[in-house]
Amino acid sequence: MTLARIVWICAALAAILFVEGVVSLQIGAYHMSARDIVVTLFQGAAGRWDEMPGDFKSVIFGLRLPRIALGILVGAALSTAGAGFQALLRNPLADPYVLGVSSGAALGTILSMILTPHTAGAMQAAAFVGAFATVAVVYFLGRRGGQLDSATLLLAGIVAASFLSAVIMFLMTTVSGRDLRGMAFWLMGDLQSDPRVDLRWLYFLLIVGIGCIFTTSSDLNLILTGEQEARHLGVNVNRVKLVVYISASLLTGLAVSVSGAIGYVGLLVPHVMRMLFGTDYRLLIPTSAIGGAIAIVLADTLARTVVAPSELPVGAMTAIAGAPVFIYLMRRRMR
Amino acid sequence: MRETFLAGFLRLKMPGVIVGALLGCAPHPGALAAGLTQQQATASQAQDPARTADKAGTKMVTDETGRRVAVPVNVQRVVSLAPNLTETVYALGLEDKLAGDTTYCDTPAAAKNKPHVGAPVNPSLEAIVALHPDLVLATAINRWETVESLERLGIAVYTMDPHTVQDMLESTALLGDLMGAHEQAASLVAKLQTTLEELQTSLRERPLVHVLFVVWEDPLITIGQNTFIADALRWAGAESVIISKQDWPQISMEEVLRLEPEYIVLTSNHSETDTADQVRDLRARAVWNEIEAVKLGRIVVIAEEITRPSPGLVQAIVELAHGLHPEIFGPAQKSSGPEKQSRKSMAVGLVACAR
Amino acid sequence: MNALAGSNATLSARATPRGNADGVRLRVEQASYAYAATERSAPKFTLGPVSLEGRERELIAILGPNASGKSTLLKLLAGVLKPLSGRVEVDGEEVSELEARTRAQRIALVAQESELLFPLRVWEYVLQGRYPYGKRLRFESDEDCLLAGNALAQVGADALRDRWMDQLSGGEKQRVILARALAQQPSLLLLDEPTQHLDIGGKVELLRRLRKLADEHRYTVVVVTHELNLAAEFSDRIALMHNGKCIRIGSPAEVYDREALQQVFEAPLEVEMRSSGRPRVILGGTQ
Repeated sequence: MTLARIVWICAALAAILFVEGVVSLQIGAYHMSARDIVVTLFQGAAGRWDEMPGDFKSVIFGLRLPRIALGILVGAALSTAGAGFQALLRNPLADPYVLGVSSGAALGTILSMILTPHTAGAMQAAAFVGAFATVAVVYFLGRRGGQLDSATLLLAGIVAASFLSAVIMFLMTTVSGRDLRGMAFWLMGDLQSDPRVDLRWLYFLLIVGIGCIFTTSSDLNLILTGEQEARHLGVNVNRVKLVVYISASLLTGLAVSVSGAIGYVGLLVPHVMRMLFGTDYRLLIPTSAIGGAIAIVLADTLARTVVAPSELPVGAMTAIAGAPVFIYLMRRRMR
Repeated sequence: MRETFLAGFLRLKMPGVIVGALLGCAPHPGALAAGLTQQQATASQAQDPARTADKAGTKMVTDETGRRVAVPVNVQRVVSLAPNLTETVYALGLEDKLAGDTTYCDTPAAAKNKPHVGAPVNPSLEAIVALHPDLVLATAINRWETVESLERLGIAVYTMDPHTVQDMLESTALLGDLMGAHEQAASLVAKLQTTLEELQTSLRERPLVHVLFVVWEDPLITIGQNTFIADALRWAGAESVIISKQDWPQISMEEVLRLEPEYIVLTSNHSETDTADQVRDLRARAVWNEIEAVKLGRIVVIAEEITRPSPGLVQAIVELAHGLHPEIFGPAQKSSGPEKQSRKSMAVGLVACAR
Repeated sequence: MNALAGSNATLSARATPRGNADGVRLRVEQASYAYAATERSAPKFTLGPVSLEGRERELIAILGPNASGKSTLLKLLAGVLKPLSGRVEVDGEEVSELEARTRAQRIALVAQESELLFPLRVWEYVLQGRYPYGKRLRFESDEDCLLAGNALAQVGADALRDRWMDQLSGGEKQRVILARALAQQPSLLLLDEPTQHLDIGGKVELLRRLRKLADEHRYTVVVVTHELNLAAEFSDRIALMHNGKCIRIGSPAEVYDREALQQVFEAPLEVEMRSSGRPRVILGGTQ
């Protein structure tokens, strides 16, 4: 494994993401020719907003680009968090939802939707608080003999997830029709809702989260061959677990606060990347991030074309596509 | 040789750089207020100059959910995001100005041929933009997010939210004003008002008939006292046996058996044969056939219009009143006026449940 | 053999330095340990005090029945546990006070098995042994690759380099696990019952290899084992443990005393001296 190899593979994946983004920019109910799109992009880059037809500006900069940008954010965040949790729990079926972290984030977001619907940044803050609170609770429940025990952690997470889901359901019964509809839709995964926070802040947090997990990738490689062995090689296992757990929670909270509950990505993308590129986390983390972005942008593009003019929630799309892929992967492992 | 961690970290930013380049296309946050930065829900949205059909400008109004909206003075193209609004537009005779509606808009039948923008709960924003509307009409069944997204794109959205039949009449008048059809609206509203008043007169001094309004059979869901339908019932001389603050309370059959409503009211599925089947099924069903009203065949199947705040509602109220007060209005007659499939089936339904 | 044979010298254990002029690499002085007592009961198990020494090129076996304290002693040697009293030193430094990564550069604790979650190639696995050196997030340098290659050569596993870990036989896996430990460039190799899952051929092969590593590459090897005869055959010194105490320590011939063995193992054991000067333990007649 060399840095050069990582860079080349990531560059290739990023190129695929770029092409996918370009294609996705051309897809939508509003017909724009490729030429129109390119011209509009250049005008935007040059700051010449006045020359741009209002429709083009709305469609490209108001609708399609933000969706793609959010999709990349959410996909990268969820996949990296998934890869982190899988190493942490030594379980290839782990993903942000297993530990109840995303349920906690969703609960936080829904509470903020009910209590502070118009405050900027409230949803993100509430999601982080929800995610971290869940982390803290599950962390304390998941300890045995003073150390994080993977099996107990998993169990604590599942219990937390179901408890929090019940609370969410209860909260939703107290909410009246219109808000309820919005929440129900959001819970299924919605890339169109306005995050109410500058996208650049969100991307900053994404880079921080992915970066933190990336710094522990050598440690994770060792931990995956056995925790005791890793300790004997000098890995500070408890510290690594804490860093990964917190970073992965940050990333999950980020994704959930922006787009609700989108499943299967955190589970499947790291798996596929492993199949393609091996299990070395120094490569797996960056490729999962980019791979996740590719997956969500694809899912979103499909979600808005399959039943046009209506749109499926992205979460429904990832579930529809993800479940068969998951079954296929499971059966391959069995063989 | 060994790479430094920093080098690796910087390399990781490559995808970020690409996205940054895309985002970098928007160097001025102000200019991108449309898409990427935080919006207050009640902020007034500057009307995009390229969009307004009439350069004469806009006027600020407050819609029925309390938002301030900049509505064009001269509205030429309208997109409706709810079936009842589509119906209202047609009733006002303004269908030429209707540029698009939802896939659920099927009343009147001509509405099905208009360009569709998707379902009310998740319409395609691009499809709406493609239709170049001056104004988008929404109701409480549309999500906040949809309304806000359209606002961010610079499209004016006016939300109607009538809670009572009287509200509906006022909304209809208001819609007519917005779309520049003041006289048509006024005359339509006057006609509907007259019908309602005549009905009131006929029903004067009659006690309210106690009914169970079935929204959904399994689980059994009925209406709360604050709903639109409850108000419509009162106009038809009836009231729900269930008093609830919730809009769509779920109740048990035991409660129904205890309260013994005089009539059961169902909404039709919009096809002739189904109505007769509906009644038959209900009478045959276990537990339901213990209820006195079912045994006596006092089941009224009413057109779906009763659930929607649109002009067609008034006719539905009249027919419901006829069904619930046969002693005043005589046995069911074939209704005159515009033949709607639902009304035919309603007549059939009444015949089918002859006692 | 391999082109790297000439550079095997670079991977030999460090020459004893650091203030140990007498060549003693491992020094255990009156080390003792007790598992924490609860409020209600006395400590369940106490070890020690134990003293022993290990020099380079020595293979020391720690022998004893179950629950005699063998594993606890090994953990003290590894620095995983801190002795309640006394000292455990490697190359003159108290092991429990070393920072984890530094400790890993001195002492390699060889795992019995490897529970891999995801498929891994042998080469990647062995390279992980280089972790204690350099920064935490690191990429393998040429030196790392050289040393890992040497480690594989030392255990005779060059041919396995590109194979998948989960496709190896038990014996092959043992060698690879050993190679990873060697890649740490330790002075001290610790093994806890390494022969448990191996058949007799594998057991002999492993001990032979350990012997060779000690002799040719100057490691100090400490093996915890049950195997009385293998220990006698291959080790330089044996420490016999019983109920948390080291009751005898010395060469195999010195330690294998009939009464002592019978008392410790509670079995009718007889000792035979062989011509090589090493004893052999056999089961005595049933009474």
